[in-house]
Amino acid sequence: MIQDAATTISQAPDALAPFKSEQLNLIAGKGGALEQLLFRSSGQNAQAVMTDGLFLLIFWFSVFFFVLLMGLMVYWVFKYRRRTGVPAPASTAHNGPLEIFWTVVPSSALLVIFIAGFRGYMAKVVAPTDAIQLNVSGMKWDWNITYPNGEKSAYSLPMGTKKAVKIFVLPEDTSIQLLMQSSDVIHSFWVPDYRTKMDLYPNQYTTYTFHTEKLNDEETYRDHWIFCAEYCGDQHSEMYGIFRVVRADDYQKILTDWSAGALSCEDLGQLVYRNNCISCHTVDGNPGIGPTWLGSFGATRALEGGGQVVVDENYIRESILYPQAKRADGFQGQVMTPFLGLLSDEEIAGVICYFKSLSSQPAGQGEAAPGQTGGAGEGSTGG
Amino acid sequence: MTEPHQPTGYGHEEGSFLDNTGLGFWGTIWDWASTVDHKKIGVMYLVAVLTMFFVGGVAGLAVRLELFEPMRISETTNEVTGVLFNVGKLVVDPETGEMVRDRTLTAGGAGNTYNRLFTIHGAVMVFMFIIPSVPAALGNFLLPLMLGAKDVAFPKLNLLSWYIYVSGSLFGVVALIMGGTDTGWTFYTPYSIQTDADYYRVVLMVGAAFILGFSSILTGLNFIVTVHKLRAPGMGWFDMPLFVWAIYATSIIQVLATPVIGITLLLLIFERLFRVGIFDPSMGGDPVLYQHFFWFYSHPVVYVMILPGMGIISELLAVHARKHIFGYRAIAFSSLGIAGVSFLVWGHHMFTAMGELASAVFSALTFLVAIPTAIKVFNWIATLYKGSIALNTPMLYALSFLFLFSIGGLTGLPLGALATDLHLHDSYFVVAHFHYVMMGGTVIAFIGGLHHWWPKMFGRMYNEKMGMLGCALVFIGFNVTFFTQFILGTQGMPRRYASYVDHFHLLHQVSTVGSWILAAGFLVHLGNFLHSLVAGPKAPPNPWGGLTLEWEAESPPIAHNFHHEPLVQHGPYDFESVVPPHCSEEDYPLPKFVS
Repeated sequence: MIQDAATTISQAPDALAPFKSEQLNLIAGKGGALEQLLFRSSGQNAQAVMTDGLFLLIFWFSVFFFVLLMGLMVYWVFKYRRRTGVPAPASTAHNGPLEIFWTVVPSSALLVIFIAGFRGYMAKVVAPTDAIQLNVSGMKWDWNITYPNGEKSAYSLPMGTKKAVKIFVLPEDTSIQLLMQSSDVIHSFWVPDYRTKMDLYPNQYTTYTFHTEKLNDEETYRDHWIFCAEYCGDQHSEMYGIFRVVRADDYQKILTDWSAGALSCEDLGQLVYRNNCISCHTVDGNPGIGPTWLGSFGATRALEGGGQVVVDENYIRESILYPQAKRADGFQGQVMTPFLGLLSDEEIAGVICYFKSLSSQPAGQGEAAPGQTGGAGEGSTGG
Repeated sequence: MTEPHQPTGYGHEEGSFLDNTGLGFWGTIWDWASTVDHKKIGVMYLVAVLTMFFVGGVAGLAVRLELFEPMRISETTNEVTGVLFNVGKLVVDPETGEMVRDRTLTAGGAGNTYNRLFTIHGAVMVFMFIIPSVPAALGNFLLPLMLGAKDVAFPKLNLLSWYIYVSGSLFGVVALIMGGTDTGWTFYTPYSIQTDADYYRVVLMVGAAFILGFSSILTGLNFIVTVHKLRAPGMGWFDMPLFVWAIYATSIIQVLATPVIGITLLLLIFERLFRVGIFDPSMGGDPVLYQHFFWFYSHPVVYVMILPGMGIISELLAVHARKHIFGYRAIAFSSLGIAGVSFLVWGHHMFTAMGELASAVFSALTFLVAIPTAIKVFNWIATLYKGSIALNTPMLYALSFLFLFSIGGLTGLPLGALATDLHLHDSYFVVAHFHYVMMGGTVIAFIGGLHHWWPKMFGRMYNEKMGMLGCALVFIGFNVTFFTQFILGTQGMPRRYASYVDHFHLLHQVSTVGSWILAAGFLVHLGNFLHSLVAGPKAPPNPWGGLTLEWEAESPPIAHNFHHEPLVQHGPYDFESVVPPHCSEEDYPLPKFVS
């Protein structure tokens, strides 16, 4: 199925033309016969290889027990088939040691499978610190991805006469983390080639992490289907998207090409900040009427009335929309305007980008700040 | 009737419970409609659930038919191919002037029709067929007979349960006639709050499930009391047939879990009608909360569906292999164990929605439920050892169950393991898995049990060869239909898709052909049963040589079940030492060794 797309459009003067190609380069037919039957191709990255390995472990474990059980069943059904006038031979009705044996042995095997499943899961859902973060929005019935420079995909694949399937480029051999949210109902982001999926909700952010593969020397790009895996209505089955993995320098060229005058995510956030938030929140580390934003992303913040919270994407979003839900300690008597209905999802995503830019490097995320009193910027871990 | 069979009997009529002599047509109708006889209620449930099985089955076949040749994206030529059956708007072709179907991928109507079909299939099969199938139909008929009782503890409540079931089903049918709903049987919010905004069909459908829940609760309550209070003299807890144990465990789940779905569905109705904002994110509600509530019921209810099937298999294997069930107590306790753990695993439906800690905990608990299930399978297969195995239709169904349910159980492992579940969740792998468990498990057990107890229920034998033919078709058709779907799932086919990318085409076509074989198998059974009712040879009271109390009764049983109260003097599976009721020693040679 590997198509040499570059040759079909080689006469185009545009240097980026190959990447707009409507010719899909889907990966298939790699790996052993069983892998090809089960997955169409062997895994594209370490996490997928791990998943396939666990699946095959369970597969052979299951085949072993299934053949054993069915073999015994068929053999006994044949051997002890009813013969007229011949009674069933006497046998015991239970056997304690045997029953304990066949309880304990499979249980131990299940424990192994559970642990392997958990390890593979953590490898999938925890993003490396150097991951590129993209914002994904799911809506009936399309995907939108916003790149760090604020731009959206300009490439698409015409399907039939009405529907276009968006193509999203990604750099090869790179960790990607998608920060995902739905604009309407629940969707689920699934790239079968990367063997993982995650739901999108209208009221919270979820993340989707994966690592793109390295391209072969003869490939210009490689494509992966994106499916919606959570039922979402009439065109649920046409909620397609395509990930197009390209070389890192091509990725930069394409993004530059796309970002003709768009505000980057961070700049949009700064704009929203100047227009809405600056009167109460500082970005210099000193508490204003409300907590400062400097260095607060990833810090742990004490809450009014006890408890604490890590300032993450979901906390920022909640605090913008429902400021009274979790109030930072030290600002008694101050009431923030709820921005529910006033800011768009994109603007909120921009604010989050801005928050991140005001914080330390992502490596410091999640660690408790030395002093959490006041929740007013004490949580600075650098920056 | 003129001559009492036993002078010390209950002093009742001695005719069959089906005897309607002298009642006339309307008298018979009234007799059935107002009956408090658990056997008649069981038969009425049987007719009702089989009707709903037919409705759900037709919808399922239609779903498969649509997927045989839908619109597809060709991955090599960048075109849209395929035909969607009867969907797509009729438009005038600008070149020829003829009316043609608009076959663009977004033709509209395709997904819309398909979504309604799979919702009908799911909702009807789950709420109206599979939940009441074994407990309400076979359970009602058999539980009092197996316990040696005259009836269930609350016969009038039992009739009320049936009427509630029928009313609930009518709500569902009305929703279908009005155009159906496209929510899926799970009614996930916020989709179910928003879809079909102008119509009340979703409310009707959710209302149907709500009402059906009451039927389930009342039946469960009735059975629990019956098992506790109405066992025949001499029958201790561990003298009960395993089918009774299974029904008992099922009833506990029904009583404890069903109120939760009742409240949840009521909240969903309020959400739609009055916009209360519990689940609707646009009003600050949480759609994930709905999923927690929903699966807190709907996972335990998976065991409401499968446990009675497991009970049937225990009976079928023991009777037709003439062998004491291996590890009676292990099977009985594993039923209760499954019932208990089933309340703690609901989160495994939501691994793609929860945090890491919750996912890990639920994954571990999910593996815990696999253990009692595996124990049961080992015990059943061990029961065959040194048996005297009759290869008749009920036994073939029991063996099919062991085959299919083992696959269903083992394919649960990659779904319970977190890393693999992230890939397989909401794919065709899940579809295949739960069909292997629900249909390969419960439905296969139900049909097998129906053959096993058919002579008892209606006093007629069925044609054994036709029964075996039907079983073979069902077994082959089932595997062709659903085994392909495992591969579709691992290859990346999402569920609930009306169309798909081209590379899934072949496997979908194979699966659809399998569904036709499956349907042919069920039609053979239907014909066989109808023929048996009309022209089947008269059944003896104990055609299989069973030892449980229902085989002491006549076939069909008299209105009060037994001529006089049975006294239990042996275990339900003591085939090695007891001559079954109504059997002579010549028919049934005892082994030399008698303990």
